Amino acid sequence: MIDIAIIGGGPAGQAAARQTLGAGLSTTMIDEQARPGGQILRQPPAAFAVKGWMAGRLYRPLRRLLAQTEADIRLDWRGGTSVAGIERIEDHFRLTLSGAHGGTLLARRVLIAAGCYDMPVAMPGWTLPGVMSAGAVQTLLKSQQVVAGQPIVLLGSHPLLLVLATQLLDAGAEVAAVLMPQTYGRMARAVLPYLAGAIFTPGPLIAAGAAMARLRRAGVPMMMGARPIGFTGDGRLEAVDYAWRGQVQRIAAQAAAVSYGFLPQSDLPRQIGAAVRWARPAGGWETVCDGAMRSSIPGLYVAGETTGVAGADAAMAEGEIAGIAMALDAGVRPPSGMARAQARRARLQPFIDLLRAAADPGEVWPQATPETLLCRCEDISVAQVEATMAQLSPMADASAVKHRCRIGMGLCQGRSCEHALVRRIAAARGCDPDAVTPFRMRFPARPIPIDEIIG
Amino acid sequence: MTHEVLIIGGGLLGCAAAWHLARAGLAPRLIEARGINAGASGQNAGSLHFQIERRFLEPGASGQGADIVRLNRLAIEEWAGLEEQLSRPLDIHMHGGLMLAESEADLALLASKVARENELGLPTQLLSGAEARDLVPRLAPHVCGAAWLAREGHANPRILADAFAHAARASGAVIETDSRLLDLHRDGHGWQATIEQAGQISTARARHVILATGHWTARIAARMGLNIPLYLAPLMMSVTDRTAPFLPYLIQHVGKRLSMKQTDDGNMVIGGGWASAPQRMADGMPDLDAPPHLVPDNLRANLAVAASVLPCLRGRSLIRSWTGMTCISADQLPVVGQVPAAPGLYIAAGGSMFTLGPLLARMLARSIIERAMPEEIALFSAARFAHLNAFVVPS
Amino acid sequence: MSRIADGVTRPAPITVEIDGAMVPAHPGETLAAVMIAAGAYRMRDDRSGAPRGLLCNMGTCSECFVWIAMDGAWRRRRACLTLVSEGLCIATQEGQP
Ligand SMILES: Cc1cc2nc3c(=O)[nH]c(=O)nc-3n(C[C@H](O)[C@H](O)[C@H](O)COP(=O)(O)OP(=O)(O)OC[C@H]3O[C@@H](n4cnc5c(N)ncnc54)[C@H](O)[C@@H]3O)c2cc1C
Ligand SMILES: Cc1cc2nc3c(=O)[nH]c(=O)nc-3n(C[C@H](O)[C@H](O)[C@H](O)COP(=O)(O)OP(=O)(O)OC[C@H]3O[C@@H](n4cnc5c(N)ncnc54)[C@H](O)[C@@H]3O)c2cc1C
Ligand code: FES
Repeated sequence: MIDIAIIGGGPAGQAAARQTLGAGLSTTMIDEQARPGGQILRQPPAAFAVKGWMAGRLYRPLRRLLAQTEADIRLDWRGGTSVAGIERIEDHFRLTLSGAHGGTLLARRVLIAAGCYDMPVAMPGWTLPGVMSAGAVQTLLKSQQVVAGQPIVLLGSHPLLLVLATQLLDAGAEVAAVLMPQTYGRMARAVLPYLAGAIFTPGPLIAAGAAMARLRRAGVPMMMGARPIGFTGDGRLEAVDYAWRGQVQRIAAQAAAVSYGFLPQSDLPRQIGAAVRWARPAGGWETVCDGAMRSSIPGLYVAGETTGVAGADAAMAEGEIAGIAMALDAGVRPPSGMARAQARRARLQPFIDLLRAAADPGEVWPQATPETLLCRCEDISVAQVEATMAQLSPMADASAVKHRCRIGMGLCQGRSCEHALVRRIAAARGCDPDAVTPFRMRFPARPIPIDEIIG
Repeated sequence: MTHEVLIIGGGLLGCAAAWHLARAGLAPRLIEARGINAGASGQNAGSLHFQIERRFLEPGASGQGADIVRLNRLAIEEWAGLEEQLSRPLDIHMHGGLMLAESEADLALLASKVARENELGLPTQLLSGAEARDLVPRLAPHVCGAAWLAREGHANPRILADAFAHAARASGAVIETDSRLLDLHRDGHGWQATIEQAGQISTARARHVILATGHWTARIAARMGLNIPLYLAPLMMSVTDRTAPFLPYLIQHVGKRLSMKQTDDGNMVIGGGWASAPQRMADGMPDLDAPPHLVPDNLRANLAVAASVLPCLRGRSLIRSWTGMTCISADQLPVVGQVPAAPGLYIAAGGSMFTLGPLLARMLARSIIERAMPEEIALFSAARFAHLNAFVVPS
Repeated sequence: MSRIADGVTRPAPITVEIDGAMVPAHPGETLAAVMIAAGAYRMRDDRSGAPRGLLCNMGTCSECFVWIAMDGAWRRRRACLTLVSEGLCIATQEGQP
């Protein structure tokens, strides 16, 4: 039995590990990726040498933390391993692992720092190969050093697209256009209330300005108010359709990077029954915690995007808080540094609010047609889901719809479609998404090869 | 107002009973604490076990196998007519079922089982390993025999209770979800129920009450001072990713816990009576509302048994396991009908109630409509446990 | 060619087999990256036979579920989490190894 299991080797998990290891607690870190870093610093393969990798100033603290993590021989790092199950048994936890280090792991305390993922947004043609999440395009680039395709169109409401566009340009890729559905005016109105507070964290804002300038210099059309309609192609993506000044336009593309926001990874917290709430405004379920990152389950902590999408700096601060709290609760470390980390986290909030407001697609959400697949795993269309909902009582929850039409029954366990279903049920009922009971999250959180289980 | 019949529980039993009663013009009211099909009826394996199940062959279970065959024969006819009765497709597959043997001992057990079934009029056939592999070429080479029943099979548990509820409503039943029975006690010649619906407490009177409350039944009865010998059976199920159709049959094992089938969608559904571990309440009693924990060793063992007879499963991925609770009775046979110590109170639980549910719900409805237990199910009457309530003071 | 060449040093290439075609790869790369670099965007087919490709590249969506030949049998794995090795043989449709 180990003291601490940390799920996720991103900034949050790493910051927590610094604290727990420093306090002398045995700590195991599990991550599906081969190397630590998380999504923002998804590392290239160890056998690669990449000049100036993620050299930007904003990444410096993250790189320093990563270097410390990788150098710390006290850390039991288990890469290439998925956490498929989490249960509380009496006073400890049992994790079921799959992959390079499969089997079970018993731990006295667990931190879930599993990050977030790109919100899948159903729109016509979105299942065509070549249509990817912005995160997929970005991680192919920074980790695998591969351009996802070109010409590439970036589309969606999230300002992360600007960062991605510059990264693609730096890699020499042909960026055809950046299509953002909000107008400048709308975005300005959305962020205005938060600007004053965000002035203490100007780094990302300056970076965004620089990115826009870089796109202009490169001649990449950056179209605010261009509303993506859908994707077309024969067997793979060939073009992106969008509405621009009242007209439908088509732009050729081999790849598309879509970003309307991020959803917290919530499968493990929900599997073990930790309290979650609907994340605003992007949606999905964020795990509820107190000021020391304790979840509603004794001994279970959460940090980083799992608690609500807030960026890498917040993830680091929360990880540190969680690490200190775990040490405190284990009774091995005097409570130092907690207040400082909490203050650091609090200072970030205005910028986080600003980014969330800026990224919120609000009324410029893309439209699915009746034939659009909502559930990509089981191939369930919007029309099928609507027909099922119509047969059920309006009070029927997400699981009732799932049982009847198979939405969410596939390999991804509903990660791709559940948020959309919950929004639809809420809209039909005229209630808040928080009032809709979501799917019951089942073991395993990731598909496990049967031969691996049997051994 | 006094209801003729109040049904507690919107699982398969409750919904099917509601339909039969509604068709007879009794306009029952059904209350369900959560949603329709939210209990075992929506979580089960969907096996239609018509051969004598392995659990009846275990030491300790003596004569019950023969009793159950009588019921199974009726259940076969019930299922065969269901889609027509409810006039909608129900994913019912009665293409046959194989109970496998992997050893000489298995084979001997299988042979005596088949002989007994044939005596009782159930046309099971003993197949050699090669004959079994003719039916399912992917069966492992060491499978050395099987009992074949041409009308065994499986159905889709996710849609059946709904279909009954739908038909019941159309025939005049009132079905209310999110309505929980809090208390039930005698009131003159009938019953008075206290019901919580959306935070509102109300009472209802009824001449007859059916407790179609699955594994909750014993505890609800206990609160009324009644002893019903139903015991918790927390189980688990697993399902794999989809694969091209290759298995139209139900697969069971005579010597090991296994049930396995392929759904219309191509997923392999694997179970067979492996236990899960109930969550506990503060006082140590099992929590009947919370999903039990998976037991990793049992998951592994269940999949190992399945892959041992069907090695191609090793190439599949587990995409979901779930747990659910049902109950078995003291003698493993269903307990159906009026509780002698509580006239007007009916139950139906204990056993493979997916397989038997449509039949027993009809019988239960008949015993209310005809004011007498149908002959066919007399053996399964709750009256056989009347002695347990010998010291109950009627409330 | 979509591998970034400038400033990136990779180990000597190996070969993997994708739907019968021999494709170059570098040790350490994920199978998904190798496929995309080779222009093989299709990773599986849905139930209607329509092709599907990489969506999240982080193990969350399972859209990249390909078949990998292992010990004489096909096993399904997420291509975005699978590292390539010499002789790796994969298929985007279930077949015979
Ligand atoms: C694809 C992507 C790209 C992003 N790019 C940027 C960017 O450029 N700039 C920016 O500011 N923010 C970016 N973000 C936001 C980013 O998530 C945060 O800034 C930061 O990485 C959050 O840190 P974290 O520790 O909370 O989570 P993460 O960094 O996401 O780390 C979580 C880790 O948990 C692992 N994990 C999750 N579930 C399991 C499981 N079941 N079993 C095992 N391991 C698991 C994941 O593999 C991951 O490595 C990006 C997010 C995504 C999803
Ligand atoms: C994992 C598993 C696999 C199984 N596999 C098979 C199989 O393959 N074949 C087979 O024949 N059988 C199988 N069974 C058994 C079968 O599922 C059950 O016997 C059957 O579904 C019972 O139906 P029911 O309607 O009596 O109970 P349930 O479906 O449990 O319904 C009872 C209902 O009562 C409601 N309720 C409870 N208390 C109250 C209250 N106070 N007020 C209002 N409502 C209340 C509950 O919410 C519930 O919806 C399996 C069971 C499980 C758990
Ligand atoms: S692309 Fe989503 S799991 Fe691989």
